[in-house]
Amino acid sequence: MEGIFGNLAIGFIEVFKLQAITIAGMTMTLPFNIIMCLIGVLLGTLIGVLPGIGPVATIAMLLPVTFNLAPIAALIMLAGIYYGAQYGGSTTAILVNLPGESSSVVTCLDGYQMARRGRAGPALATAAIGSFFAGCVATLVVAMFAPPLAEVALKFGPAEYFSLMVLGLVAAVVLAHGSLIKAIAMVILGLLLGLVGTDVNSGVLRFSFGISEMADGIGFVTVAMGMFGICEIIANLEQKEHREVFTSKVGSLMPSKEDFKRMVAPILRGTLLGSALGILPGGGALLASFGAYTLEKKVSRNSHEFGKGAIEGVAAPESANNAGAQTSFIPLLTLGIPSNAVMALMIGAMMIQGIAPGPQVMTERPQLFWGMIASMWVGNLMLVILNLPLIGMWIKLLTVPYRYLYPSILLFMAIGVFSISNQPFDCFLMACFGLLGYVCVKLGCEPAPLILGFILGPLMEENLRRAMLLSRGDPWVFISPSKPISMGFLLAAIVLLVIIALPALRKKREMVFVEEK
Amino acid sequence: MQRLLVLIVLAAAASLAAAQPGPQSWPTRPLKLVVPYAAGGPVDISARLLAAKLQESLGQPVVPENRPGAGGSIGVELAAKSPPDGYTLVMSAIATLAINPSLYASLPYDPLKDLRHVTLLVQVPNVLIVANELPAKNVKELVALAKARPGKLDFGSGSTGSTGHLAGEMFKMVTGTFMVHIPYKGSAPALADMMAGRVHLMFDNLASALPSIKADKVRALAVTTKARSGFLPEVPTLDEAGRQSEAGLRGFDMTTWWGVSVAAKTPQAVVERLSAAIVKAMDAPDFKDRLRSMGSEAPLIRTPDEFASFVSSELKIYTELVKRSGAKAD
Repeated sequence: MEGIFGNLAIGFIEVFKLQAITIAGMTMTLPFNIIMCLIGVLLGTLIGVLPGIGPVATIAMLLPVTFNLAPIAALIMLAGIYYGAQYGGSTTAILVNLPGESSSVVTCLDGYQMARRGRAGPALATAAIGSFFAGCVATLVVAMFAPPLAEVALKFGPAEYFSLMVLGLVAAVVLAHGSLIKAIAMVILGLLLGLVGTDVNSGVLRFSFGISEMADGIGFVTVAMGMFGICEIIANLEQKEHREVFTSKVGSLMPSKEDFKRMVAPILRGTLLGSALGILPGGGALLASFGAYTLEKKVSRNSHEFGKGAIEGVAAPESANNAGAQTSFIPLLTLGIPSNAVMALMIGAMMIQGIAPGPQVMTERPQLFWGMIASMWVGNLMLVILNLPLIGMWIKLLTVPYRYLYPSILLFMAIGVFSISNQPFDCFLMACFGLLGYVCVKLGCEPAPLILGFILGPLMEENLRRAMLLSRGDPWVFISPSKPISMGFLLAAIVLLVIIALPALRKKREMVFVEEK
Repeated sequence: MQRLLVLIVLAAAASLAAAQPGPQSWPTRPLKLVVPYAAGGPVDISARLLAAKLQESLGQPVVPENRPGAGGSIGVELAAKSPPDGYTLVMSAIATLAINPSLYASLPYDPLKDLRHVTLLVQVPNVLIVANELPAKNVKELVALAKARPGKLDFGSGSTGSTGHLAGEMFKMVTGTFMVHIPYKGSAPALADMMAGRVHLMFDNLASALPSIKADKVRALAVTTKARSGFLPEVPTLDEAGRQSEAGLRGFDMTTWWGVSVAAKTPQAVVERLSAAIVKAMDAPDFKDRLRSMGSEAPLIRTPDEFASFVSSELKIYTELVKRSGAKAD
C-alpha cells in the first residue's frame, strides 16, 4: 500500500513540477505539465461538445505538435483530450439529444428527457459529478491493480467476447420501453446495418450496392446523429411552440438533496461496471455505458421513470463511461496493446517519443508512468471545476429559438460527419438515417436498441467466426468447461432472456415500461 | 470591338498561362496530400510529418487530407484522376499499389498507368513472432513443428490480404507447411490473442510488434527482410534461416512500404522538384529519427524511376502470391 502512495507522490510531483519555459524569448518558470493537462481537457471538452469531431482525429492532428514537447507533457495533454471528450459528449446529449461521442448515446435517453422537463441543470451536474467520482476511483484502480487486471483482459478470447456480446444484445432489448417485438426488430435491423461493408474473413463486400463509400461499412457517427439528432429536429418541428414549455420550466441548476440521494448508488454501480469493462480491448468502454444503464433499469426502485428523465439513467452510464475511459489505459500501459483507436494513437505518440509502451515503462520511467496517472486525477478535477460553472451557460442554449438553433445544429452535424472521411456521401447517409429515425418514432420503435445492435453485431459476428475458426468448427467451444467465462455470460444471457420473455413477467414488464405517448 | 476582342484573347492567353505554370514557378498555391486511410495510423502520422517538412522547403502550405475507404482505393483514385499539375499528392502503399490490384476484382485505377511514383518514404520489416508457449525456439524448429502437426497451428494477421497474411502464405508455400489463417481487424487484437496463447504465430510489422517483443510477451524468430533490423540485431533473417536449413526460405524479402505518388501525366520537372523536396525532408535528422521510431530504416530506393520499377516488381510478386493464397475481395 505504501508503495502505491509513494508512486502516486512521484506522479504528483512530476505533474506539479515547475519548469523553465522559453516563450517568445522570455523565460518563465511555469508548472508546464499542469498547463498541458488544462489545454488537453479544454480541447477534449470542446470536441466532445462538437458532434462528429472525435478524439481520434483531434489527437492525430495534434501529434506533430507534440513532438517538440517532453514525452510526459505530450502524453498528459493527449490523455486529457481523450477523457475530456467523454465529459463534453454528454453535454449535447442532454441538451439537444445529440450524442457527441459514441459512449453518450445512452445519456440521451434520460438526460434529454430531464432537459425537456426543465431539469437540464441537474442532469448536466449529475453527469459531471458522476464522471468525476468515477474518474477518481478508476484512476486509483489503474494505479493499484493495473498488472493483474491486464492478465484478466488477456483471458478474454474470441469465445468470451462472443458470449459477452450475446449478453449485451439481450440487454439491448431491456433498453427499450413498450413493445418487446418492436425492440427485437430494432436490434435485428441494427445487426443488419452493422453487416454492411467488407467481411473480415473473406474480404467480400456485403450490402454495399457497389458504392465504394460503403465498402468499409456505415460509420457509427452517421447512424447515431441521423437517428438521434436529425430525427429529433424533424419530430420537434411538428409541434408548434412546444418550446415554451421547454424553457419556462428551467428550474434550479444544481441537483436537489433528493437527487443526490438517488444518484449515489447508480454512480457506485456504474463506476464498478465501467472500471471492469473498460479493461477489455475492443468496445469495452462503450459496452460499459449501455450495461450500466440496463443494470440500473433492472435494479432501480424508480425503474418506471426510466426513459422519462430518471436521474439514475444519467448518473450510471456517465460514471461508467468515464471509469471505462480511464481503465482502458491498462492494456496500453501494461501490455503495450491498444484497446481502441485512441489508445493506438497514444502508442504512436509514445513510440515517436522513443518510448516502447509496455510493462517496462512502469519500472524504467516511473516519472512518466505515475505522472500520467496523477495527471488523470488532476485532469478530472479540472473538468468538474470547469464544467459546473459552464452549466449555466449551456442552459442558455435552450432558450435559443428553434429557427436559429436547428440550422446551427444541422450545420455542425454535417461538418462533423463530413470531417470523418471527407465524403459528402456520409452527409446524405446521415440525412437518410434521420428519415429512418423519424419513421421509427412514428411507428413507436426506439433507436437505442438499433444503435446497440449496430455496434455489437459486427463485433459479435467477428468473434463468433474467429472462435469457430480457432476451434476448427466445434460449437461447444462456447460452453466447454475450459471456458468458464464464456459459459457464465451465456447462462446470464439465458436467464435475462427468460426474465424478459416469461409471459407472466412480460405482462408486468409492459405495465412498468409502458410508453408515456 | 476589335480592341475588345484583342483584350479577350490576351486575357484568355494570360489565364491559360496562369493555369499551366512552368515547373520553375511550381508550386504557386497550396498542395493537398491525400491520405487514403483514417487519421491516426502510421501512414497518416508519417504524412503529417512529411507535410510539415515539405511546407518548409516548397514555401506553400501542404495540407494532409484523409480520404479513407475501400482499402485505400478511394483516396488513390482521387489522386490518380486529379489534374496532373503536382498539386494533389497521395500516400501510396504496398496495399494500394501491389496487393489490391489482384485482391480486388476491379480497381478504379491502374497502379502503373494512372500514377507517377515519386519517392519511397518508409520501408518497415515484418517480423515472425510466436507465442511464448510454443516450443519452437527458431525457424527450423517452427517448420518441424508445423510439419509434425499439419493444420494445427494458427497464424494471425491484421486482415485478409494484409502483408502479414501474405507473408504467412508465402512462408507456408516455400516451407511446404499448412497452417490456418486467422484474420483480425488490425494487428493489436491478434497480438493480444497471441500473448494469451490462443494464436500460435504471426507476421507483424516491426513497429507494432516491437513493444511486445521487448517486453518478452512474444518471441521474435526472424525478420522478413534480407538484412537484419537495427531494432532487433540479435534476430536472424528468414534468408539466413534458409541458408542454414529451410532452403525454400532463401532470398525471402518482404517489407511493408509506402511513399508518395501523383497523377500519371504530371510534368517531369515537377516530379523531380517534388522528389528532391521529399528526399531533403528524409535526410533531415529530426525527420529521420521520427521515422526510425516507427520502425523504418531510410529506404535505399530514392529516385522516381527507382520507385516506379520497385512498384512494378512488387506488383508482380504480390499478384502471384495473392493468386496462390486464394485471398480475394470484390
